[in-house]
Amino acid sequence: MVTDAVVMEDVSVVYEGERIAAIHQVDLEIPSGQFVTVLGPNGAGKTTLLEAINGLLPSTSGRVKVLGFDLATEGREVRKRTGYVIQNFALDPLDPFLCRDVVMMARAARIGTLRFPDEGDWDKVDQALEAVCMTAFAGRPVGKLSGGEFQKVLLARAMAQEPDLLLLDEPFANLDIDARREALRLLERWREDQDITVVMVSHDISKVPRACDRIVVIDKGRIVMDGPRNEVLASEDLTRLFGAWGDGDE
Amino acid sequence: MAMSELVYGLLFTSMVAVILAGFVCSTAGVYVVRMNLTALGFTMSHAAFAGAAFAIWRGFNPTVGALIFAVATALILGPVAEKARLKADVMLGFLFSLLMAMGFMFLNFAPGEAASSVALSIIWGSIFTVSAADALALAVLATVVVLFTVGFHKEIMATLFNRKLAESTGVHTRAIYYSVLFLTGLAVAFSLELVGGLLVFALIINPASTAYQFSNDMKQIIWMSPIIGIVTSMVGFVISWVTDLPTGSTIIIVSAITLAVAIAISPKRKRGGLKGAIPQAAVQ
Ligand SMILES: Nc1ncnc2c1ncn2[C@@H]1O[C@H](COP(=O)(O)OP(=O)(O)OP(=O)(O)O)[C@@H](O)[C@H]1O
Ligand SMILES: [Mg+2]
Repeated sequence: MVTDAVVMEDVSVVYEGERIAAIHQVDLEIPSGQFVTVLGPNGAGKTTLLEAINGLLPSTSGRVKVLGFDLATEGREVRKRTGYVIQNFALDPLDPFLCRDVVMMARAARIGTLRFPDEGDWDKVDQALEAVCMTAFAGRPVGKLSGGEFQKVLLARAMAQEPDLLLLDEPFANLDIDARREALRLLERWREDQDITVVMVSHDISKVPRACDRIVVIDKGRIVMDGPRNEVLASEDLTRLFGAWGDGDE
Repeated sequence: MAMSELVYGLLFTSMVAVILAGFVCSTAGVYVVRMNLTALGFTMSHAAFAGAAFAIWRGFNPTVGALIFAVATALILGPVAEKARLKADVMLGFLFSLLMAMGFMFLNFAPGEAASSVALSIIWGSIFTVSAADALALAVLATVVVLFTVGFHKEIMATLFNRKLAESTGVHTRAIYYSVLFLTGLAVAFSLELVGGLLVFALIINPASTAYQFSNDMKQIIWMSPIIGIVTSMVGFVISWVTDLPTGSTIIIVSAITLAVAIAISPKRKRGGLKGAIPQAAVQ
């Protein structure tokens, strides 16, 4: 069944109190099961695009349909089925929450109102923590983790949610090379087991995963390129753009 | 005989009311502290005082007046505070003093002697104005608080950890936010006459802040805070009964001392130090 996981038509987002649109008249269709990387410089609107997909931004114009639900009226249904690994997360060292509980939180909406997590739910949580090699940290407060360790917990959290659509915002930014490779392998296995759609945001042209099918490039809130991975990476336009962004001559 | 029965009946009712107030306030406190609603809750408690004073002036039940003012404050300021459009210090500096001034103004208008003992109780608190109906109202509220805390445990945990992350997984965080505000408003209004409008908010903040000193696990904090709230309230109550000191003030002093001691001995704030430290490599 090939339907579209995400359909955006003429979507613009203007943040409150701003005059310039953070994303402007975006049209984007993502078929079910695709792995898309969104590339763009800082401030291009990548995070905004992700949050326009899961409905965390209220002031969105245009039409967004995700997993068959209309975002404007059924946002909560969309979010229940969408995992989101957030980019900026300020962790307080005194945060009184254990890793295991933080991962379990992702299942809250899935379990349902006035219901309690059962054995199966805790199994899922433990499996997710194991998949990111964080089992030893399950009973530790999240405030005491390193940036990379917490990033893994966020990945485990998204996994435990068992989403149909996964939105990743610079998910490997804090990971070392080994952890990054491990996380990518994990993502691969995950995509083999379940037919999930992945939208991953990155600003690093040199680190687009091989497994990714398609690259969407945005700059100043607009989609400027869109195509199969290798085509986009080979394109001269991209080199020019990235030259302009200053990443080219590193 | 009849006289002492009356006294003990009264004592029993007040004791039950104090325990229930300690319970509902300290449970609400866990949420208020973690969700950064301290300034808003503080404002609500002073609105409750102004409302009770208004009721005394107009001649209706002070608890009802407190309830209306506290809930109205939650309704008006809730949306503003939610969007972080109102800074805490603005709320404190402007509204808190305004509400306090209004409260004293209303009391000034209140006619006659009869009002004065009630007026004193909403300022300083009194266990002798507590009726069986007040205790019953607190019991109902306590039941609601328990049902909320247990029934929505998952959603509460997720919202307390991080609202945006919770929202991103489909949790209805606004419902949790407003439930917390309303339960806090009710807790404040129903406890007002026991400890007084000037002190009631400490009943919310102190036990929760104490519990936060002792645990890294929110699940524990959620049950520790009410225990601390109940125990400090009871100890304060007994001390005030024995020594004839004002009950509200005694309870608050006991809970403040408990918090101070907790901060001093908190295991969370202890520094590790280098003595006895082992290198990371040795563990792996
Ligand atoms: N809450 C906000 N209020 C106002 N403007 C915002 C807000 N969040 C983002 N913006 C603006 O919108 C634009 C797009 O921001 P966005 O966070 O989507 O960028 P990004 O592509 O994710 O950048 P980065 O690579 O730095 O994460 C930026 O110009 C930013 O300044
Ligand atoms: Mg971003």
